[in-house]
Amino acid sequence: MPEFLLTFYDVFKNTYKGFLQAGLLTIEITAIAIVIGTVLGVIFALMKISNSKVLQTIANLYITLIRGTPLIVQIMFLYFGITSIIVLDNFWAGAIALGVHNGAYIAEIFRGSIQGIDKGQREASLALGMNSSLTMRRIVFPQALRRAIPPLGNQFIITLKDSSLVYVIGVSELFGLANRVAASNFKQFETFLVVGLYYLILVLIFSALLKWYENKLDVDK
Amino acid sequence: MIKAENIHKSFGDLNVLNGIDMEVRRGEVVVLIGVSGSGKSTFLRCLNFLELTNEGVITIDGKQVNQKKDNLAKIRAEVGMVFQHFNLFPHKTVLENVMEAPLMVKKMDKVQVKKMAHEILQKVGLSEKAEVYPNKLSGGQKQRVAIARALAMQPKVLLFDEPTSALDPELVGEVLQVMQNLAEEGMTMIVVTHEMKFAKNVADRVIMLDEGVIIEDSDPDTFFNRSTNERTLQFLEMVDV
Ligand SMILES: Nc1ncnc2c1ncn2[C@@H]1O[C@H](COP(=O)(O)OP(=O)(O)OP(=O)(O)O)[C@@H](O)[C@H]1O
Ligand SMILES: [Mg+2]
Repeated sequence: MPEFLLTFYDVFKNTYKGFLQAGLLTIEITAIAIVIGTVLGVIFALMKISNSKVLQTIANLYITLIRGTPLIVQIMFLYFGITSIIVLDNFWAGAIALGVHNGAYIAEIFRGSIQGIDKGQREASLALGMNSSLTMRRIVFPQALRRAIPPLGNQFIITLKDSSLVYVIGVSELFGLANRVAASNFKQFETFLVVGLYYLILVLIFSALLKWYENKLDVDK
Repeated sequence: MIKAENIHKSFGDLNVLNGIDMEVRRGEVVVLIGVSGSGKSTFLRCLNFLELTNEGVITIDGKQVNQKKDNLAKIRAEVGMVFQHFNLFPHKTVLENVMEAPLMVKKMDKVQVKKMAHEILQKVGLSEKAEVYPNKLSGGQKQRVAIARALAMQPKVLLFDEPTSALDPELVGEVLQVMQNLAEEGMTMIVVTHEMKFAKNVADRVIMLDEGVIIEDSDPDTFFNRSTNERTLQFLEMVDV
């Protein structure tokens, strides 16, 4: 066996237990960020399409600030910002920062898919005597959600990969652990190859789940 | 049943409705015709407040509507509307389409609504399609579901905006038949249509709209056979009855 594969296998064998733990952390952070991001995304999308200038302005400000600055800066900023006010461990600070970041992108996804629903749907609903909020909740949003699923899935995959950046505030998720391992075993190349593969596997599993869900929705209809 | 007085509506600089007066009595069927752009759709949309008028008064069943202060959803619940492109809810089955508003707006009992929805679907000849999604229906079937959906709210008036214009010719008849049945049952209806046979046979009155004003309002016999209005005559020639 070539030398490189042997070292690679060595690194893999010596670290997989740790990486399993770290992988779990990555999944947790991603899941929390997705939940926070989706909730914020829905709220800010609704603000953006509302009739209120004030709400629109707030939503635009949020989206512009998030999209106009690097995620790593937002993580640092939120980490030091939040932890100067309340006691919060770096895991939660990182997950919240990632969630807030995602909210802006998810808001744009929802806004687009809501506005993409035929105007006739809203009118038919209003004409039946349903008020605006019933119309949004029962008629427009469920259809918009279906449309949003492919781009949302994309965004969730980006979130999974972006979660690596919370290593800067000392969270030992996959990338954070890889950094520490590489610093101690001096096998940087092999270690980052290993961690890269872990990310790839997670992304592939996640993509497969999304495909399955999309197909299921199609069959339902 | 529904009365419009001096209705004005403009979009920016474009004056679409220029003072329309019209009263439709209970059980009356009024057919509204006019060339494209004459304001037929806009007028119907004003009648259920999908558009707000710039001026004028609309009275429904004796109650004058204040379009700024009144709960418009509540008023729309009493004025049904059927659209050219059906606008069925694609994520809901036929039955769910029909049940949605009575459940959500009137908060009626589910068992009761279901029973009623089945009865209405039977009336429009679509009992066996209850569990189907709209994308599996023909245009004619879709429009009949849309009518059923509007009927489920037991509206005082039904507005139709070119209900058969988007249909293949061979599917027009089944929709007109349902509308004729409704008319015979005494439903109050205002129908925008180019189906002159329907106007002749079913309407109590035919109203001709031109550039946002009513230029003729008469019974079908007078309208089609004895009109002296130049624009009406022009129009009749165009649509060759
Ligand atoms: N929301 C709107 N904004 C701007 N202009 C509008 C709007 N709705 C309608 N119009 C204009 O108002 C005029 C009347 O339109 P309307 O749809 O009422 O005509 P119509 O008689 O129903 O015509 P058609 O037979 O083509 O359906 C048209 O010139 C149209 O372009
Ligand atoms: Mg029209």
